[in-house]
Amino acid sequence: MSDTLPILDSADAPHIATNETIINIDDLSFSYDLGKTNTLRNISLEIPKGKVTAFIGPSGCGKSTLLRCLNRMNDLVDTAKVTTGKINILGQDINASDVDAIELRKHVGMVFQKYNPFPKSIYENVAYGLRVQGIKNKSILDQAVEESLQKSALWSEVKDRLNDSALGLSGGQQQRLCIARTIAVKPQIVLMDEPCSALDPIATARIEELIAELQQEFTIVIVTHNMQQATRVSDRTAFFYLGELIEYADTQVIFGNPSKKQTEDYVSGRFG
Amino acid sequence: MAKHFQRKGQRLLGLDKQSWIKGFFGSNAGLSIVVLFLICLFLMIEAFRFFPAHHELLKVNRQSGQEFVDHIIDEADGYQEFVSYTNQAYFAEYDERFEKERGIKDSWGALLGEIEDNGEDQIEVLEEARDGDDPAVLEKAEAEWKAFLAELTSEVDRAEIDSFNRLEEYPEAWNDLLKSALTYDPIEEETPAFVADAIKTQEEGMKSFTEAKTEITASGRALKDLRAKLVKITAQIAEDVELDKSAADRKAAILEGAKVLEGEAREAALAEAEKIVIRDEFPYAERVKPLSESKENHEKAAAELREKLTTGIAKLPTKFQSDKAAELVAKIRNGREPYLKNLDRSVQKASEWQFDEKVGFLQSIAKFFFGSKWVTNSSWTEVYGLGPLFTGSIMISLIALFVAVPLSIGAAIYVNRLATRREQTLIKPSIEMIQAIPSIVLGFFGIMVLGEVLQDLSQRPFLSWIPGFPIQDRLNALNAGLLLGLMAVPTIFTLCEDALNNVPRAFSEASLALGASKLQTVIRVVVPSAISGILAAVLLGLGRVIGETMVVLLVAGNRIAMPAWGDGVSIITQPTHTMTGIIAQEMPEVGAGTLHYRALFLVGLVLFSISLMINVGAQKIIKRLGHAS
Repeated sequence: MSDTLPILDSADAPHIATNETIINIDDLSFSYDLGKTNTLRNISLEIPKGKVTAFIGPSGCGKSTLLRCLNRMNDLVDTAKVTTGKINILGQDINASDVDAIELRKHVGMVFQKYNPFPKSIYENVAYGLRVQGIKNKSILDQAVEESLQKSALWSEVKDRLNDSALGLSGGQQQRLCIARTIAVKPQIVLMDEPCSALDPIATARIEELIAELQQEFTIVIVTHNMQQATRVSDRTAFFYLGELIEYADTQVIFGNPSKKQTEDYVSGRFG
Repeated sequence: MAKHFQRKGQRLLGLDKQSWIKGFFGSNAGLSIVVLFLICLFLMIEAFRFFPAHHELLKVNRQSGQEFVDHIIDEADGYQEFVSYTNQAYFAEYDERFEKERGIKDSWGALLGEIEDNGEDQIEVLEEARDGDDPAVLEKAEAEWKAFLAELTSEVDRAEIDSFNRLEEYPEAWNDLLKSALTYDPIEEETPAFVADAIKTQEEGMKSFTEAKTEITASGRALKDLRAKLVKITAQIAEDVELDKSAADRKAAILEGAKVLEGEAREAALAEAEKIVIRDEFPYAERVKPLSESKENHEKAAAELREKLTTGIAKLPTKFQSDKAAELVAKIRNGREPYLKNLDRSVQKASEWQFDEKVGFLQSIAKFFFGSKWVTNSSWTEVYGLGPLFTGSIMISLIALFVAVPLSIGAAIYVNRLATRREQTLIKPSIEMIQAIPSIVLGFFGIMVLGEVLQDLSQRPFLSWIPGFPIQDRLNALNAGLLLGLMAVPTIFTLCEDALNNVPRAFSEASLALGASKLQTVIRVVVPSAISGILAAVLLGLGRVIGETMVVLLVAGNRIAMPAWGDGVSIITQPTHTMTGIIAQEMPEVGAGTLHYRALFLVGLVLFSISLMINVGAQKIIKRLGHAS
């Protein structure tokens, strides 16, 4: 491992809900075109450890962009640039020049909007993250695969066909497989970018149950379009509008008694 | 009633404008298909007619005894190779060990030639003076001779006399030669002692080698004589067979001509026509008798060759000062065993030859596809074996793929996954530009630049460990393969890049989000996902390479022979010929309808089938694997 995030091995980490902050976003502005226009403007936000935080807002408000800043997936865009501010994760500035994005992503996992398992076997999909870290020991891999599949509530459904192609699973199963794949590398934080938008209501319900379970062990940040989902799964909710953070509070507060007019309009379905 | 829906416009031949337009486009499509069909049909008809004609050729070869004599020719050719290697080794060693002595001997000879050419008149005068009895004349002649020698030796240039520069490093030997020349007597013709010594030294030094050489050279003499004799007989038979075939026509022609002649000329023509015998069947049995009777002689000659060659080779020295000689002798020693085995087999086959044995039709097919010889320019025989051309084509294609596949896949991965946008816009068109180079230009480059550079490079001592280096021939399979590889790069690159492009972005994003590096993502996810497209790209590249003509024709060296498999990997530096090249080279010279012409068509058909299979294979791969992912 490189000289990157000075954090505990996740096995030793106490995953009890505390008021400890795990992600600290401070006055962040972000641009996709080298600073000509800012997609995110002056966002400051603290995400508590061991809780589920939801990002909501209308399309184009920047919630997904912010999520992708957290594991630096935006690096893939040549012209993307953080113009002001900082993101501290586990106390370290992730955009500092000595931070290796690859190491960061081992600690900050991500689940995508459209389930995207690799065209490989179920087993290889889950083992992938460990394999790229150079782990070849079969028993370690076997154990990690089983554990992750169990945590993502998929084990009983696939344990007899681990070597079948992952593409033969149903959509909901594929998305749970993607979650299993993500947690197999034991990240501290799991980012979910509208994980249920491509699923039917039953599959969605199962994912939501899963999120509640995973909360025991991981800090989860979820972007969602679905406000009911936010109320069901999250502890804290941040409402974004046109690249700005409008309001950030406990979920009940945002949906029950928001302090800003825009928030109220949005959550009550007046626009968005 | 008003007609609202009536067709407007003029009708031509009962069809309206729309139908005509439709017909025009339809006929374009139809015509292409018809032309393709006709081409295939023509190709097949011409090609398949090769087999009966080939069968006929094989039959005549057997009946006229050519098949028998061919065995002897092959055996003698093999023997000739041993003789040539021995001679080369001998002179290489000779030069290395006795450079000075050889220089002295040859230079002395050349010097004498010079003296005798220029001093013709003086020698005559001297001779007369010696025969006469006038001492004054004699004295004058002697003095004149001395003066001539002095002038000649002062003027003569070493580099001109010693044409191989053997004495360059031995100036004292050259001085001795000049000194001896000053006292040379053209009538006594004595050889100076030190020249005689030099000759003796080298003769003794090379004695054992000379003996071995003499024995090896003598070993095949009987076989060679037999060959000469039998070739004559068989050629005569073949000629008579041809004459026989046209006998009736010729007779008719002469008789027709005789009608307009008169008197003696007419008589002569009629007599000539009378002489032409028209036979139903050529009397092979009678004519090939001398051949059948030579079987025993052949066996004897082969036995003699075997024995003397073995003892001769055993007599060859084991230590050499010249590396080249050592190498050649090693080649001779290693070649003996296989050659003798072949010899036995060939003698066996020759002894089994029966002029009246039937030739199976399958043989005419098998001999084409599996034959290892393609001989068309010999007055003696025609042989059509696809072997050397097929192996040549395959070898060059494999070399090309060996170069092109890593290059183009690497470039495609770089451009598609790792390069910045700026680099992409620079690299992609540049690689595609390669396609724009006319193949004739590439071939020219291959001859004038790549060939030279490769050969120069191969002669560097520090590269001599590479098999096949130093390269003997500038034009060879490696050279052609490298160029074809370059030509295949754009095809493979473009298709590969497309295949990589079709890999969903989601795959690489997922991989990166799991903490994989870009390279890991490419190797573990992107390439496996695109593998069907990549394989298809490689296959289509192969199709491009195998059908390419101009470059191989110019650069491959065009030697029609099976690769010398014994040389291992270094066969790639040998000149070769290809299926495409042979058609391009020989088609303009063949007469329509001849066996040779049909053979070339058949090669074309084979080529067409290979291309077809490759293309169909590529499509199958895309379909099958493409669906899986």
